[in-house]
Amino acid sequence: MNMSSYHYLGETWKHAILIVGSIVVILPFYIMLSYSLKSPGEIERNEGGFFGSQEMMIDERCAKLREPDQAAIDSARQRFTGLSDSEIYKALKAEIDTECSVRPIIFNYTKAFSEAPLLRYLMNGVIVTVSIFVVQVIVALPCAYALSKLRFRGREFVFGMVLFCLLIPVHAIALPLYIMLAKLGLTNTYAALVIPWTISVFGIFLMRQFFMTVPDDLIDAARMDGLGEFSIVWNVMLPTAIPALLAFAIFSVVAHWNDYFWPRIVVTGNRDLFTPPLGLREFKGDADGSFFGPMMATATIIVTPLIVAFLLAQRKFIEGITLTGMK
Amino acid sequence: MGRRLTGYWFTAPAVALMVLILIAPVIVAGFLSLTDYSLGNESANWVGFKNYDKIINRSTYQKMFSASIIYVLVVVPASVALGLGAALLINSLKFAQDFYKTIFFLPVMAALLAMAIVWEFALHHSIGIVNEFFESGCGTIAETIFSFGWIPFVDGAETWYGRHCAAGEFPLWLRDKGYALGTICFIGIWQAFGFNMVLYLAGLTGIPRELLQAAEMDGAKSGWERFRLVIWPMLGPTTVFVVTITSIRSFQVFDTVEALTQGGPSKSTYVMMYAIYEKAIKQNLMGIGAAITIVFLAFVLIITFIQRYLVERRVHYS
Repeated sequence: MNMSSYHYLGETWKHAILIVGSIVVILPFYIMLSYSLKSPGEIERNEGGFFGSQEMMIDERCAKLREPDQAAIDSARQRFTGLSDSEIYKALKAEIDTECSVRPIIFNYTKAFSEAPLLRYLMNGVIVTVSIFVVQVIVALPCAYALSKLRFRGREFVFGMVLFCLLIPVHAIALPLYIMLAKLGLTNTYAALVIPWTISVFGIFLMRQFFMTVPDDLIDAARMDGLGEFSIVWNVMLPTAIPALLAFAIFSVVAHWNDYFWPRIVVTGNRDLFTPPLGLREFKGDADGSFFGPMMATATIIVTPLIVAFLLAQRKFIEGITLTGMK
Repeated sequence: MGRRLTGYWFTAPAVALMVLILIAPVIVAGFLSLTDYSLGNESANWVGFKNYDKIINRSTYQKMFSASIIYVLVVVPASVALGLGAALLINSLKFAQDFYKTIFFLPVMAALLAMAIVWEFALHHSIGIVNEFFESGCGTIAETIFSFGWIPFVDGAETWYGRHCAAGEFPLWLRDKGYALGTICFIGIWQAFGFNMVLYLAGLTGIPRELLQAAEMDGAKSGWERFRLVIWPMLGPTTVFVVTITSIRSFQVFDTVEALTQGGPSKSTYVMMYAIYEKAIKQNLMGIGAAITIVFLAFVLIITFIQRYLVERRVHYS
């Protein structure tokens, strides 16, 4: 066998292995999307391929809700003169069935929004992730600037503290944090969702390392121009730090949009504060067999924003998520 | 004037928050772990090391440790090996590198809770696609191959696939105590290895080409030799980091357990984070929860110190 065909064979093998791996990785995404398009019957019997047949289906709950009672039959008697009660019942039932039929895809996605306040959950997710990121930056940037560019007694001590705190995963100390927040009466508030994440020692560390590379001349020039330290941080340092900040933003937003543990602990019962993962979990708790479709639609809606953003800006995202690799 | 003071002003908020949010809770947890505190009770009794005693001696907590440790010992090596394998394969491709990279990274981006629920569907015993896939292979050439009866001295009817095909049913996965933890591990590996792959890909780009060429000239002809002599040692720092971060994350596994098994069946998936949640938040047994928290922190610190030690020695192990 000559060299090139040997290489060709090797290449084929590699692709074969990677494709099998890709199928396993993609499988749940495929199921999620596909189930969010299908009718309960198709999910149950595992048929209809990816899109399902999209035949009209009857919304069972809608039909049950409008189940004609005796009063309805009596009032409909004028429309169906000369029919017996049971025949009128059948006719009414047929009308209701047509009124309650929908395409599965429409059914699943409208139910996702109507069965639970999904829009509210999504909004909560945005509020929480954005607040966390903004506060993290407000706290971290001046601190990182001071640690890298200002001289003051105790600087090394503060930096040592940052390094020490890098060792403590916030999830691990969730319990004492929960007790402290409960003592302050803050559980079931937006504050409880945001407060533990306001300090990102990792963010401080990262920005400090970045600011170390910014030449002192830039800062001296700004001071000559009469800028105060405060405006140096926000008008000089911040613009230079945009690439690092963007990566940190991705890191932070992905972590908190997807976080389930912390919201689960501090939000108990109050649905108005649910973040998207909590909302989905609640849906799972309530769901009976016929609601698998809407549940998968909810999952799709929750997962899609980050996946789409990732597909659009892959390099930035991979850089952001693997930031921790710089430690 | 006050540039010196500015330093204090700029670091003060961060220092205050570090003390209140990160350091104080550790002290509070240490203190509470010695009491029988519960929320709503104004007074708590000092119980000394009783909580720790329970954690060490009661079978529930022994199951907790074994679930957590097994999870870490399975997920870390598997996701690190798969991450490295994928990175090496992808790195050596001529085209479609980005394609595979994107796909393998998808699980890292998706909310684990959502994907866990989808996996539960896939693994459902009657409507799940996984068991259906296994069943469809029974009685075909797939059964012949994967029951491994063609290997000498292996009885095809006695292997895993052969037995389940003969019985006509496949495991309940998350509902079977023999399989539940393994299934949770599988989802953990599925989610984590893409992250490790990306770190390894970054590590691979850091290996100078000249070094590989030099190794080849010195007689490291086969790919395996080059891997063993150059690539693996050069990836040492990456490996230390990847193993550390995966271990710490694996110790923190919660989403999949809470959503799919709630620690069961018969405590087989009762991992530490779930135990803290169940004992402290659901049952209001803060003392026990705090004691588990302290043990948990000890584990994390040990892992991190091992990492620091290895990094400082700049271990390029061979």
